[in-house]
This record gives sequence, C-alpha cells and structure tokens, in this order.
Amino acid sequence: MLLLLPQAVLDGLLIGGVYITIAIGFSLAYGVMHVIDFAVGEWIMLGAFLGYYLNHWTHVEPLALLPLIFLVFAAIGFAFQPVIHRVLSGKKGNPLIMALAFTFGLAIMFKGLGLTFFGFFSRSIPSALSAGSFSVAQGSFFMTVPVIRFAGLLYALGITLLLHYLLKKTDFGLAVRALAQNKEAAGLMGINAKRTSSYVYGIYVGISAMSGVLIGCIFSISAQMGSNYTVFCFFIVVLAGMGYLWGVPWASFLLGLVQSFFLIYLNPSYTLLAVFAILYVVLLISPKGLFGKGV
Amino acid sequence: MPSSRILALLLLLAGVLVLPLIFPDPFFVRIVTEAFMWIGLAITWDVMAGYTGYLNFGHGAFFGLGAYATAILMVRAGWPFLLTLPVAGAFAGVAAVIAGVPTLRLKGAYFAIATWAVALAVQQLALVLEITGGPDGMRLPPFLHPQFFFYLMLGVTAGTFLLLWFLLERAPFGLKLKAIREDESGAMALGINPTKVKVQAFTLSAVPAGVLGGVYAYWITFIDPASVLADIITDQAMVMAVFGGLGTLVGPVIGAVLIFAFKTYFWAYLSDYQVLYLVILGGVIALSIVFIPDGLWGTLTGYARGRQALKKGVETGLSLNGSAKIEKKGGGENG
Repeated sequence: MLLLLPQAVLDGLLIGGVYITIAIGFSLAYGVMHVIDFAVGEWIMLGAFLGYYLNHWTHVEPLALLPLIFLVFAAIGFAFQPVIHRVLSGKKGNPLIMALAFTFGLAIMFKGLGLTFFGFFSRSIPSALSAGSFSVAQGSFFMTVPVIRFAGLLYALGITLLLHYLLKKTDFGLAVRALAQNKEAAGLMGINAKRTSSYVYGIYVGISAMSGVLIGCIFSISAQMGSNYTVFCFFIVVLAGMGYLWGVPWASFLLGLVQSFFLIYLNPSYTLLAVFAILYVVLLISPKGLFGKGV
Repeated sequence: MPSSRILALLLLLAGVLVLPLIFPDPFFVRIVTEAFMWIGLAITWDVMAGYTGYLNFGHGAFFGLGAYATAILMVRAGWPFLLTLPVAGAFAGVAAVIAGVPTLRLKGAYFAIATWAVALAVQQLALVLEITGGPDGMRLPPFLHPQFFFYLMLGVTAGTFLLLWFLLERAPFGLKLKAIREDESGAMALGINPTKVKVQAFTLSAVPAGVLGGVYAYWITFIDPASVLADIITDQAMVMAVFGGLGTLVGPVIGAVLIFAFKTYFWAYLSDYQVLYLVILGGVIALSIVFIPDGLWGTLTGYARGRQALKKGVETGLSLNGSAKIEKKGGGENG
C-alpha cells in the first residue's frame, strides 16, 4: 500500500494542475461579474472539439494550437459578454438570478449543439507528448511521470503566474480589481466597466477552451463531458472561496488528490460522492471557502 | 378573486374532470396525465425561483427521491401504494432541509451550485447503492388503470396548486418570501428570519415534487437513474416556469402546457432529432430571459396593466413620470 503513496500524491498533483486551468478563469469571471457561468463545462467542451478538428485537419501538435484556440474563444467570449451584460443590467426581477438562469440555458443549448454535431462518441486528441513518460526510482520509492501531464502542470502554473502578473502589475489588472471591488466607484474613476468585463469574460472563455484541449490530450473528450467539468469547477471555486483567485491552485490540488486516492486506494465510483461530501461540509463549516476569503 | 374568475376556474376544472370520459383514448389520457405532472413540477420550482429568488438546479432530485421511496417501499417492503406517497413526500422534504440549511444562509449562487451538486450526488448514490437496483433500476408491480393515475395526478397537482395559491397569494408566508426576494436585509429588519423562511419554502417546493415522483413511479412501473433522476427533469421544469412567467402561479402552468405540448409533438414527429430538443430547450430559456424576462403571462398581464395605467393617466391629465419628478424635486429642497 505504502509503495503506491508517492505515485498517488504525484498523480493527484498532476490532475490538480489540469483543474487549475479549468477553474482559474471561471474564478476570475465570477470575481468581476458576480455571475456563475453554468456554461463553463460547455466552453471547455467546445474548445476541446475545436482543438480536435484543427489537429485532425492540419496534424499540427495540439499543444501548439493552444494560442490560436485562446484567441478564437477569447473573441467569442468578448463578443458574447454584452448579452450577459444586458441580462445583468435588466430591471426586471433579480438580475443575478436571471443571468444564472441564462447561462444555464446556454449550457443546455451548447450541450445539445455538441451532441448534434459531434455525436455521442468520446475521442482523444493525439499529442506527440502523450506516449512519453519518465520514471524516478530509488529503492522501494518509485514514480512514473507522464510527460503530457507534467507539461499540463507546467502550463497551469504558467497561466496562474501570467494572470497574477496581469492582475497585479498592469493598469488593466488594476481596473479589473477595482471593478471587482466596487463597480460604481470604479466607473467614477474612469474605468469602462462594460469593456473591461468583456475582456475578462473573453480571457475566461479563452482559458477554459484551452484547458479543453489539454483534457483532450490527457483524458478523452465527448459532447457530454461539459457537466462533469462544471461540477469540478464549482467544487474548486467553492473550496477556494468564490472569486478568490489565489485559493484556486490549492483547491485544485486537493480535488486532484481526492481523485487519485479514491482511484488507487478506494472505490473510484465513490469519488464524486466524496467530492460532494467535502463540498457539503465546507459549505456548512466555512461557507467562504477554505481560506475564508470568498465573496 | 372576482366571482367571474372563480366561475371560469370551476368550469375549467369540471372540463378537465370529464376529459377522460369524453376522450377515453389511453394515449390521450396518458399525455394529459403527464402534463399534470409537469404543471406540478413547474409551479413547485417557481416557489423557490419566482417567489423567493433562489434558483434550484436540483428539483429533479426531489422527484427522483420520491419515485425511489415509493418503489423501494412497495417492492422491498411490500407497502400498499397510497401509504408510500406521504413517505415519498416526507423523504423529499427531509432531503430539502438537509440540503437547504447550510446553503440557504448564503448568497443565491451557493444555493444554485449546491442544489446542482445534490442532484448529481443523488444520481450517483442511486447508481452505486444496492437497494435502488443500481443502473438496472427497479420494476414495480404493474397497475394498468390510466384513469386512476389521471385523477391521482390531477388531484396531487391541483392540491399543490391550491396549497401554494393559499400560502403564497393569500397568507403572510408569500409576502415574507417576496420580501426576502426583494431585499433580504430589509426583510430581516422587519423581523423575518430569512434562513428559516427560505428553508420552509424549499421544503414546500420539494414535498409535492416527491409525491409526484411517487405517483410517476407506480404509473410508469419502471424507474432507473437515467429516467427519474435525469438532468432533463429540472431543465424542463425550469424552462416551463421561465417561459410562462416567474413569480406567478398561472405563468408556470401556461408554460408547462405549452412546452409539454411542444415536446409531445416534437418527439412524435421528429424523434430522430432528439438532441435538437436540448438546443431548443436551452434556446427558449436564454431567449425568454433576454426578451421576455417576465415570461409570457407576466408580459401579458404587465401589458394589460400598463394600458390601464396609461388610460387612467390620460383621464386625470397626469403621467406617472411627471409625478415622480415632482416628488424628487421636493425631496431635494428639504435636504
């Protein structure tokens, strides 16, 4: 049992890396717009399929396609955000609730479109890094590190650092943080709330779509995968504290560890139940996340 | 309620009651029975969404819990059907309390996420537990009597409608909910305990859904996680309520009838394009939120009310905007 421990921890951390990329854009978008986007899993799915088809037609290494996919989906998100803004600034009823229901409708629609065009089959995106792995062995201590997952972890950390730089060191980041704190005051300081929100939403959709490709290289993709990743995304942001960006990596690693431990030591069909149990207990004890910094 | 409206309602009820006698075709009876079920699910979903302002993305879980409660009690314990219905409702109610207590203290977003997670957790549980038969589902003793289920479903839905109408439109409870929806801190300042009232409302919406699930299980005689715990149940109840009009009881009924009629035709003539139905469902939710946020019924009654107000304004020579401006000016002078 103990022999597998290093491998279990490593697997958990590597899976956690993938989850960072799923949740970090989502957390950013929530922090600024205060809208839960139920369509997050569907953006991941759509990004994954764009990656799949681009790779299928051009045979370019999928990881090299990531910037292109980011640009395409950032543009889609940027163009799409005004619709959400319109719902959010509506006078009828509770705009936040309406926006939530709106994204839920979108999620159903995207899922239906995905099933219509891509079918029910699951497939994977072939990457040159998929096959490789290196192992570390010393006496009874051994680990196998799949190259593609390691690359995924590096990529996730890279994205996190990039976002950190963007938010803390640039004028744009200052505007975003001001907007997250107080929309009206930020507007009075000359920040264009609409435009900035559109950029943030674009960044979020772009990051989510890129992580779809990563998931396609590491696991597999199908038109129904969306809701699964939406759950993980929710789990991570609630654990991290909604809108608290720097809690996301830790919560992602925790989710990854839970998953790998259930896979190796316990019954994997109870993984989701364990995830829900943790979510429930955290909501009960510390509703603002593990660090108490959620909004 | 004016007596003419009560008369119309009674006529409608009488018409519905004799429906299976006039059209005894079992297929038709079956369709109308299912329409009643969807009406019940849509109005109970609206208790949380429309009246309280909290979106429940796991309404289908209560329906499924009720269905499984009835199935397990009948098959594994040999209970008579009608005795299982109260248990099915209670089961769903207890689940609502357990799910509601931690999440209803928080903002709406947490509740939305938690209910969705609960629905998925219940789905998972039903798949891995032995007592539920796992993915194979459960087979109930058949009782082939369409009329019985027609009247039972009608009874449950009509009873739910009357109960909700009384509690939400006639009793202080509805006002409390609306106060929480409009301004939670304000409601608290008025002496309302928001969490308690919200949990009560959540339970109120869950119990009828559980009973409907119990009736459905015995009616269809076969249940499995893919049928009674499917996401599509919540999605459909939601689109019915949103399309018909949130925050009213009549709106979701109209929405349920229209959407269900559409669904029936769609599946009858276009069954090859089943996934397209999802696209339409999601599209209807998104489009009605953008273009008719009050839903069909809310938009129609709002339009009628607007016409009336306009007429009155023309008669007295005052427009609503004008009087509002005067008030504002007065306030400025005082300050």
